[in-house]
Amino acid sequence: MGDPETIRLDMPASYGYLDAVSSLIAALLESVEGLRDPAMLSYNMQLAVHEACTNIVRHAYGGCSDGRVRITLILSRQARRLTVELIDTGRPFDPSAVAAVDLSQPHEHGYGLFLMHSLLDQVTYDPQPGRNRWLLVKDLR
Amino acid sequence: MEMVEHSAGPMRILELHGRLDAHTVAPVQAWLERATAGPEAQILVNLADVAFIDSTALGTLVQGLKRCRQGGGDLRLCCLQRPVRMIFELTRLDRAFTILTDEELAV
Repeated sequence: MGDPETIRLDMPASYGYLDAVSSLIAALLESVEGLRDPAMLSYNMQLAVHEACTNIVRHAYGGCSDGRVRITLILSRQARRLTVELIDTGRPFDPSAVAAVDLSQPHEHGYGLFLMHSLLDQVTYDPQPGRNRWLLVKDLR
Repeated sequence: MEMVEHSAGPMRILELHGRLDAHTVAPVQAWLERATAGPEAQILVNLADVAFIDSTALGTLVQGLKRCRQGGGDLRLCCLQRPVRMIFELTRLDRAFTILTDEELAV
């Protein structure tokens, strides 16, 4: 298998497909050796990507069924890094306008972005007219 | 997502099986809304067979917790798998909920 290994998906932006994305991430990470805690790493990566996808479904497309998301997963075993790019053509948002969640109290909303930033090494969001891009990076330790 | 309900005295126990996320949470939310409609609701949610939980599901459980406590009752959790437990700790929701290791301890 060459390095890096790239997988591309172009799918409807629907909650119903997100378990398939999780399964793909789990399968990719199963092939990586020398991880300190493979089960936790896999779960954390699945959850972070899931949260980004959920944001796209719910906010970028407002739950409309005709939006699509393009996902590119790049696993580099040499660099020991998993990079996930998500591109949507929906409504952009301003991350700086989202208040940080106050962890001293339980909340009914607002944990998604916090989880992404906590579970990943890099989270970048680049909104452009007609094309919004998330770049999520996890170093594989 | 499969939901199995049973009771132990006044306590209603909801066992969840499968993935608990934005796609599957709606019936759980509906169940919790009905179960917390009255005063002093005592609810235990058993997550032994839930391997994946997302922020939408966390929010739904918090909503149920708040509704219970506003009515003088409580919503507790039990049997969290390790990754799910970690998410509760990361969000400090392990301090908001009573989390048990075993369903029997709640009864």
